[in-house]
Parts: sequence; C-alpha cells; structure tokens
Amino acid sequence: MELHILEHSLKVASIAKEGIQICTHGLIKLAFLPSKTRCKFFSLTETPEDYTIIVDEDGFKELPESEYLSVADATWLALNVVSGGGSATSSQPIGVTKIAKSVIAPLADHNISVFMLSTYQTDFILVRERDLPMVMHTLSSEFTLLRVVNGETVAANSTGVTNGFVKPKLVPRPIIHPLSSPSNMFCVTSLDPDTLPSVATLLMDVMFYSGGAKETGGQSEDSGHIRFFSFSLIEGYISLVMDEQTTQRFPNNVLFTSASGELWKMVRIGGQPLGFDECGIVAQISEPLATADIPAYYISTFKFDHALVPEENIQSVIGALRTNESTGQ
Amino acid sequence: MSSGYKPDILWSPHHADRYVICDTELSLYRIGPAGSSETKAGALPLSEETAATLLAINSDTPYMKCVAWYPKQEPECLLAVGQANGRVVLTSLGQSHNSKCKELVGKELVPKHARQCNTLAWNPGDSNWLAAGLDKHRADFSVLIWDISSKFSPEAVPAEKVRLSGDVDSGLVVTKPLYELGQNDACLSLCWLPRDHQKLLLAGMHRNLAIFDLRNTSQKTFVNTKAIQGVTVDPHFQDRVASFFEGQVAIWDLRKFEKPVFTLTEQPKPLTKVAWCPTRMGLLATLTRDSNIIRLYDMQHTPMPFGDEVEPTIIERSVQPCSESIISSFAWHPSAQNRMVVVSPNRVMNDFTVFERISLAWSSTTALMWACGRHLYECTEDAGQGVAAAEKDIATKMRERAQSHYGHDTVQVWRNHVLAGGDDPQLRSLWYTLHYILHCSYTENVEQKQQSNKQSLIYSGIKNIVKSSSGTTETRRCWSGSDRQTDVPWYHSEERSLALQLCGWISRGPDIDVEPFLKSLEQEGEWERAAAVALFNLDIRRAIQILNKGASAEKGDLNLNVVAMALSGYTDEKNSLWREMCSSLRLQLKKPYLCVMFAFLTSEPGAYDAVLYESRVAVRDRVAFACMFLNDAQLPRYIDKLANEMKEAGNLEGILLTGLTKDGVDLMESYVDQTGDVQTASFCMLKGSPGEVLKDPRVQCWIENYRNLLDAWRFWHKRAEFDIHRSKLDSSSKPLAQVFVSCNFCGKSISYSCSAMPHQGRGFSQYGVSGSPTKSKVTSCPGCRKPLPRCALCLMNMGTPVSSCPGTGKADEKADLTRDKKLAQFNNWFTWCHNCRHGGHAGHMLSWFRDHSECPVSACTCKCMQLDTTGNLVPSDSV
Repeated sequence: MELHILEHSLKVASIAKEGIQICTHGLIKLAFLPSKTRCKFFSLTETPEDYTIIVDEDGFKELPESEYLSVADATWLALNVVSGGGSATSSQPIGVTKIAKSVIAPLADHNISVFMLSTYQTDFILVRERDLPMVMHTLSSEFTLLRVVNGETVAANSTGVTNGFVKPKLVPRPIIHPLSSPSNMFCVTSLDPDTLPSVATLLMDVMFYSGGAKETGGQSEDSGHIRFFSFSLIEGYISLVMDEQTTQRFPNNVLFTSASGELWKMVRIGGQPLGFDECGIVAQISEPLATADIPAYYISTFKFDHALVPEENIQSVIGALRTNESTGQ
Repeated sequence: MSSGYKPDILWSPHHADRYVICDTELSLYRIGPAGSSETKAGALPLSEETAATLLAINSDTPYMKCVAWYPKQEPECLLAVGQANGRVVLTSLGQSHNSKCKELVGKELVPKHARQCNTLAWNPGDSNWLAAGLDKHRADFSVLIWDISSKFSPEAVPAEKVRLSGDVDSGLVVTKPLYELGQNDACLSLCWLPRDHQKLLLAGMHRNLAIFDLRNTSQKTFVNTKAIQGVTVDPHFQDRVASFFEGQVAIWDLRKFEKPVFTLTEQPKPLTKVAWCPTRMGLLATLTRDSNIIRLYDMQHTPMPFGDEVEPTIIERSVQPCSESIISSFAWHPSAQNRMVVVSPNRVMNDFTVFERISLAWSSTTALMWACGRHLYECTEDAGQGVAAAEKDIATKMRERAQSHYGHDTVQVWRNHVLAGGDDPQLRSLWYTLHYILHCSYTENVEQKQQSNKQSLIYSGIKNIVKSSSGTTETRRCWSGSDRQTDVPWYHSEERSLALQLCGWISRGPDIDVEPFLKSLEQEGEWERAAAVALFNLDIRRAIQILNKGASAEKGDLNLNVVAMALSGYTDEKNSLWREMCSSLRLQLKKPYLCVMFAFLTSEPGAYDAVLYESRVAVRDRVAFACMFLNDAQLPRYIDKLANEMKEAGNLEGILLTGLTKDGVDLMESYVDQTGDVQTASFCMLKGSPGEVLKDPRVQCWIENYRNLLDAWRFWHKRAEFDIHRSKLDSSSKPLAQVFVSCNFCGKSISYSCSAMPHQGRGFSQYGVSGSPTKSKVTSCPGCRKPLPRCALCLMNMGTPVSSCPGTGKADEKADLTRDKKLAQFNNWFTWCHNCRHGGHAGHMLSWFRDHSECPVSACTCKCMQLDTTGNLVPSDSV
C-alpha cells in the first residue's frame, strides 16, 4: 500500500456561530469560486457548536482575522492511503475501518495525535507537520511513502531518525469519551462540479442560514436530532455530508447517490471539547469497528469527533463500543 | 449547465459517411458530396465539396460526459453514454428498432456509488465488454467492466432506495460489473490494448498510468506520471501510446514503460483532445482549449524501436481548418486519408483534409523526386536527343562535358569549347581568350625570359593592359590599295598591339597583319565578321572580296553581294547621298557585322558608338576595334565601362577584359551565380598564371564543389583526373601524404625510404614493387629489417609482387603509364581494414570481397567491405 503525504499545509480553524456572517464572503469564494483562489483544499463542517474550517495556506488568506475565529496553532499535513488497487475480489472494508489497523492504531501507539476527515472520495488523515518524521518512521514499514512535491509524486525517504523512538507497548485502548447517537440519518454524497453553480444558492442556504430553519423546527433538537453539515472541495472533488431531510431539498439527479441508497447514522464522541493533543481517540472508535468489519466515515471537528456508520449497523456499533467501554473500565 | 457543454464529435467505426455530434443531445449526421441529388435541402455545407445531413437526434440522455460507439457492424448505431452520475446508458440513433438492438437500447449500467463517468471504451475483441472509467470514491472501484449482454439485475434493491436515482425500469438496470479495478482511485481515461484484448491501460488520479491484465487483476504494470488524461494507442504502432496532461503530451512505448519516450513541446493552454490519425502512420493531432488551430506532430521519422537517449525528430505544424472560429473538437475520418471533421462550439462543422507535407529531394543527376501522401512523383529531364542544348540543365551539361574531357585539353586550349559542345558563344569566347593568353605568355616566355612584368600583364586583362599603355602613336592610314588618305586617326602602341593579340586579330609580331585571322574566319564561314575585320583594317577591297566569296560559297547568302555593291560605293564625302542612305538603311540590316561596317563608314572620326555599343558584335571584335580607333582618353573609359557591364551580366566574354584577376573572379562569380557552372569556373581559374586567383576563397569553393559534384555522380575517375590536372596547374593543391605505413616492430614509416614514390595517401600507401632488381628486396622494414606483415590471402610478405611484373625500369615507367600497368601496380598496394586491421594486397582483397562479405582472416567476422559506404558502389564513369 502507498501512503501519500500531500503537499497542502493545512490550518484547522473554528468559527463561532454568531461570527459566521463576517466570514461568509471568504467561505463562499472558497466553496463556489475555486478559480478565484489558489486554494486546493477546503472543508467546512457545521456542528451545533461551531463551524470547523480546514483549509490550506492559500485559502486561509481569504478568511478575515476576527475574535470569532480561533485557529489551532499547528500546521497540519494530510495523508492519504492509496491501496494497490488489485484486489477486485476481496470484500471492501471502507473508510476509517480500512486504515484503522494499518495507520490509525500505529500512530496512536506512538502518541501521535490525528485529525480525521472522511469525504465521499477518500479519507484524509491530518497530522501535525512537526510530527511528520515520527509518522514516517512509524508507517514506513507498512507503506510505501510517497510525497507530493509541486504536483509530482516522489518517494519520500524516511529521515532515518530511529534513535529515541521507542517501540511502545501495545495496550488495549478503552473508550474514554462519552458517546451519543443522534436520531437523524445522514447521507454522504457528492456532485458533479459542473452542476455546482446550479445548486450554489441552495448550498449557501444550507450552510449559513440553517439557524433560522432550525428554529422553525425547534423541537427536532430536543428529539435527538443534530445539526450537522459538511462540505469539502479538495483538489476539484466535492464531498457533502448532510442529513436525509436536507437531501430532499436538492433536485433529482444532482447528488450522486449509491445504487443501494445507503444511509448513515452518527456516533458523536466527546462530552467536553476534545482538544488537539489527546491521541488515540480515533483508534478507540475505529479498532472495534474494524474488528467487526463495519464501514465508517470519521469526521473530526474543532471540538468533537463524529463517526458515521451504516444505519443497519448502528445497534451493533453501539454494542461493540459499549463493550469496549466496559472492558476499559 | 448546457452552456458549459462543448460539442464533441465521434465518427462511426463502420460507416465512413456517418458521425455523431454530442453536446446536450446526440445528433447523427451523414456526410455526402455537396449538391448531389442525395442531399436534401436542409444539408449543411461542410466544405466546398461536402455537406452533412442530419439523420436523427437523441436527447434521452442528459448529463452526458462521454460517448463510445459500439465497435461491431451490428447493431449499427448503438452508443454507450457515460453520465455525470456514473451511469452508463446504451442508446441508439436513427434505427428502426430491430430485435437485437431493442434488447440493448435503454440498458443502464449503474455503479454502486454515483460519481462522474469520465471515459468509456468498448473491448475491441469481445464487443459485449464495455469499460467505464469513473471518478474516485472512497469505497468503490474506479474502473468497471460491464458485460452488456448480462441479464443479471438484482431484485434486492428496495424500491425506496432507488428514489434518488430517478425512476428506471429496473429490468434494464445492471449493477454487477464483470470486473472492478482501481480501488480508491479515479480513472480519467482508459483504453484497451489492441495487441492483447485482455489488457487495459488506465490513466488514474494518483498520477499513474497502469496496465491491468484481466486474467490476473492483482498484478499491474504502472508508471508515475502527470500525463494521465486521454490515453490513446497509435493504431499503426500498437506499442505507442500518447497521453496528455494540461498542455503536455507524452509519448510512451509500452515495451519501455518506465518513462515517456519523449514529450512534445508544452502548449500554454490545456489540451482537450489528442488523436492519432487512423489513415497515416505516426501522425498525432492535438487541440487545445479555445484554439482555432489543430497542431499536428509527424513522428514519421522516429527511429523504431526507439533509440537510447536520442530525442527523435518530430515535425510539428499546425492547421487552421476554419479560418477564425474556435474549434471545440475534431475527429479523424476512419478511412479517407488525412481527413477530419471539426466542430465549433456553436456546432458549425467543417470538413477538412490536412494537406500532406511534401518532401522533396534533388538527385545529383537533375532528377527531382517528391512525395505527397501515398504518392511519389518523379520529374526527370527529357533525355531525348531532341532537347536543345540550351534548355538542358546545367548539371546535365556538366556531366556530359565531364565525360568528354572538357577542360582537359591543355595544348589547344580553345578546343575545350568544342569539348563543351561547341554551341555556347560565351564558352567559345572564354576558351579562345584563355588560349590567346596562354599562347602570348608562352611565346613571351620563350623569347624574353626576363620580362616577368609583361608576363603578368598578359594575365591581367585588356583593361589593365590599356591602362599601362604609353607612347601611343597616332597615324592616318591610307585605304589599302589606294593612296587616298583617310581622315580616320589610327592609334598604335606596344600594349595596343598586345591587346589585339589577345583579341585574336593578330598573331605575335610588330606588324598589324590580320590576314591569317581573316583566312581562318573565311574557313569557318564567318563572312560578315571577316569582312568587318577587313574593313576595320581599312581594306575595303578585301572586305568586298570576302563578301563575294561568302555569297558564292555553299549555302551562301546572295545578299552579301548586294552588301558588297553597297560597300564599293563608299565615298568619304560628307554630304553624299550614299552616306545619308547608308546611315539610315544600315539599321535594317539583320546581321550585326554588316550593320557595324556601315556604321563605321558613316561615323564621324572618334565617334564610333554605333560600333562600340552594338552588343550583338563579339566583345573581342569591339575591343580590338576600340584599340585601333579610340584615343588614350576614350579607350580606358570604354574598356572600363564594358568590363563593368560584363561583370554585372556575368558574361564570360568579359574575361578578355578582366583577365584572370580579382576582377575576373568577380565576373566569374556573377556567371556562376547565374548558371551554377562551377565546372567552367574551376577549369578557367586553374589556368590563372601565378595562382593568385586560386587563393581566392570563391575559387577554392568552386573547385571543391566541382569535386563534390563529380563524387556525387560517382565520376571518381573524372574526379581523380581533375585532381591530377589541378595539381599540375596548382602545386599547392597537391595533398600531403595522410596515411603512412609504419613497421610493427620499430614503428618507423616503411615508406620513408621510398618517399619518392608518386602515390601516397588517400587510404592506400603504395609500397613500390616495380620489379626492378634494386627494389626487389623490400619485403622487410627498411628501418629494422624485420619482415613486413603477410597478405591475408596469399600469405606472402607484403612487398612481394602479386604476379610477375614486367621488369621495367623506373624511367620507363613514368613515360609509359599504360592503364594495365597502373592496375598491376595497384594490385600490389597495401590495403587493410581500419576496423579489424586485416589486409593484404589490394588486388587480392578486391577479388576476395567480390564474392565474400567477411574478412578473409579465419575467425574474423568483420564485414570489412560493408563498413565502407562507398565500397559497394561502382563508378558511373568509364576509366
């Protein structure tokens, strides 16, 4: 397998809900007018708490400085796992499940904090730039490491710093953060970039004016519904995560949907904001899922983490995670 | 949305007259000759000759991303359309729904996860197989190979789950592909390999070109590259693939897949289409965005298989099919040579044939060949005898002249113009001039050995001779045969007399006696000229006599008698009727010499312009006339003027005036510029006396060019003769010995002791075996007395004669260089292969290689003779 270290230098930021209007100009530019910026990596995730923005340095310039904008201090690099592709017959564990054992667990073992972003097309594992030598050292045994430099993929040689990296003891990872599962179901989808202009106003409405819509259906929050929407435009590919009701607002045939029309349920991790330093959270969730061979998407935001699992599997997932929780305690 | 769609064009694989334009809908057109009865009123003109008729429109498939035409004959118009959501729909155009087609039309091939379908390709072998390249999805494969005949349709899909994908007849939906390739990857382009229909070339997102073999999908050959858009296999050379990325096209050889064989020059705008021409080998057409030109790359001359690191030569050119309009797409015609249809964004179509590059080559023997498309044309000179000599190409003339030993007659120099064919007045004049120059200088040499000053004056031309003229005497001569004094002043000096000699009027001596010259002219039948010369020498009677003779001669012109009569009535009375009538009527005379005769008689003394500027009269006669009748002031002015005229015109008659000086080279340059006759130029300049003109780089250039020409014609013997001729006249041109044979033991040159040998250099070194008693023991090195190497064939030491040679002495040898003798000598020469270093007697070697290609030394496999490119050619001239 190949691990590509992408060339984007990423910033992770949070915009408070009340401050969103001062950032909308920049965000609209980043989301809908890619030709006007040099930004290649943009992701916006709305949670009930805030908007989480992941953007590369070129795109970051589009955002104003504001008291509402808090930025995680580190610069992040995105890793992307490319499978050799040959195995046409094997069953396909997808998303974080596929890379749980090969990437996420080893990184957790080495106390490297990761930030996950799953999209319709692929999974990005964000690591701090300063952790890169350690990451490369950790993963070099499992992967062919390739680094993207100016658009060319070149072999990345591990800096060879092996001294001082102690092989850690493999310890069981109990789930330590509280989990919750909202009642609404989600759709992970995409659309043809050519059709983006035709649904831009709708998307803007969903992104920025959902507050009003939420108020009208105010009771949904109480009944376990969660406000969650994610839009990303990464290297020309659009990925959308939205709840089922929101998909109904889109015209037919615009959103890419799977033939099976699968829907996903969310597992939300964390009671208190998780911060960026704690490691092993993704591993805690993904390892049991991998063991149970349940596909999952995983989206980290500024404050909390979110895993998406197939609706039909939600009970077994909760079960598996609870078991893990209990064994940990 | 529709505004973003640019029409693409797709040619039917089997019907050369049908194509489809696809933008938001599919339109089928038939192309036919314009104005024919077949074409209807609604036909769209595509070019002056062709028009297209719209046959059918299909707008059932929105969000089209790519289209592929079913490759089999039947069903005829089946198309696979890849859509933005990844579905592939089979549809047809303008078909009466026959059973087979009906079954397939409307079938949908649906991927598990929706994303854009980038590319489609039918398997060229199994036409049921359709490969679709999709964008990437985290959990799905990007290349799906569908079997369109598959009946499988999972019933398991619950009705509510297809709600997002619209209502479809689930009976026609296929969701299970035959093969899935390329997980977590995007496929931007793909094609089946024509060499092996189980193999698929994919261009993927992770900067990879990969070849998958469906028999073992876990293995792939891949290479990292940016150029991952639009892979296309050269239909004529199935290992050659073009792929592009933005503005760059990379050409790959599948046998050496590690890196592109070469990349084409990058275009500033991104490419939109790259296509190999199906009707011509190695022609690639590319189109960039918003461009009105199509760029063509001709890889005709690419060495195959591709050489090491050598960049192959590619001829790049561009065509502009429709003058201003931007081209949206183009498609090569499947069978008509170099033909394509281009379509503009607003669907204006244009039928266009790329004109084939013409390559043209001159042969060294005047023939011209050119190739255009699949045709080869040859243009040769009419070799028939009927062609007038003047119309022949100069190369033909030079070849003929070379074969008739033109330039080689050093005794009777004037005869060279006869060797040249004798029909060129300029050459005639030139060779007579050279003859007189050499003749004068020879007699000068014999009689006055010391006068080297005068010697060089002879070569410097009349222009310089008359300038140095001094002590001119002016006399008034009588008409010969009468005592009547003429009022014509007549000038004489030593230099003028020399000039007359060079003009050929008089021979050596102080007397002005033109009688021998007149005699020779009479002999040649040049009556008018002879009469004029006689008249200019104030001998009217002789002139009349000559004219009478001319009239009575065989085929004589009786009019000459009339002229003689007119002449006899000459009177020097200024106002006589005779004078008046002659000066006006003379202009009606056709013959220039007759005309100037009356001009002379009717002119005022000293005002002879009518004679001097009569261009039909030979320069030498006009100059001789001027030398007699112009004074010291007029003469140089006239000569200068005439010389400049000649120089500008490149007229060889002017050599008389300029001589073989720098001026003469200038004149010759202008002659060569006009005629290309380097042969005459070379021979003429070689005659230059002190060799100063030979040092002129122009002269050296002519000589070298002439030698090269002879070589190109394979006139090697002529070349050698010319070299010998040249070295006789220009000792500095003698080549130095370039090759020496050194002894294996002491390293000294073995030819050192016999350096007097005449033949040295040029690859052969003769080791003299004359057979004379004193020289017979030369089978050992003269330096160390060790034996010389042995001939590989006769195994005798070199230096041993090949066969018994008649024992002639050295002195005889020079005098009697018969051909047989020379050949026999050549047979004794050393010769060896520069590659394997084996060799022996030249004669033995020649006869060996007549029947063998390998070296005569056993176990040596050197193909010595083939290493010599000219070794297998035969000279085309006779020895």
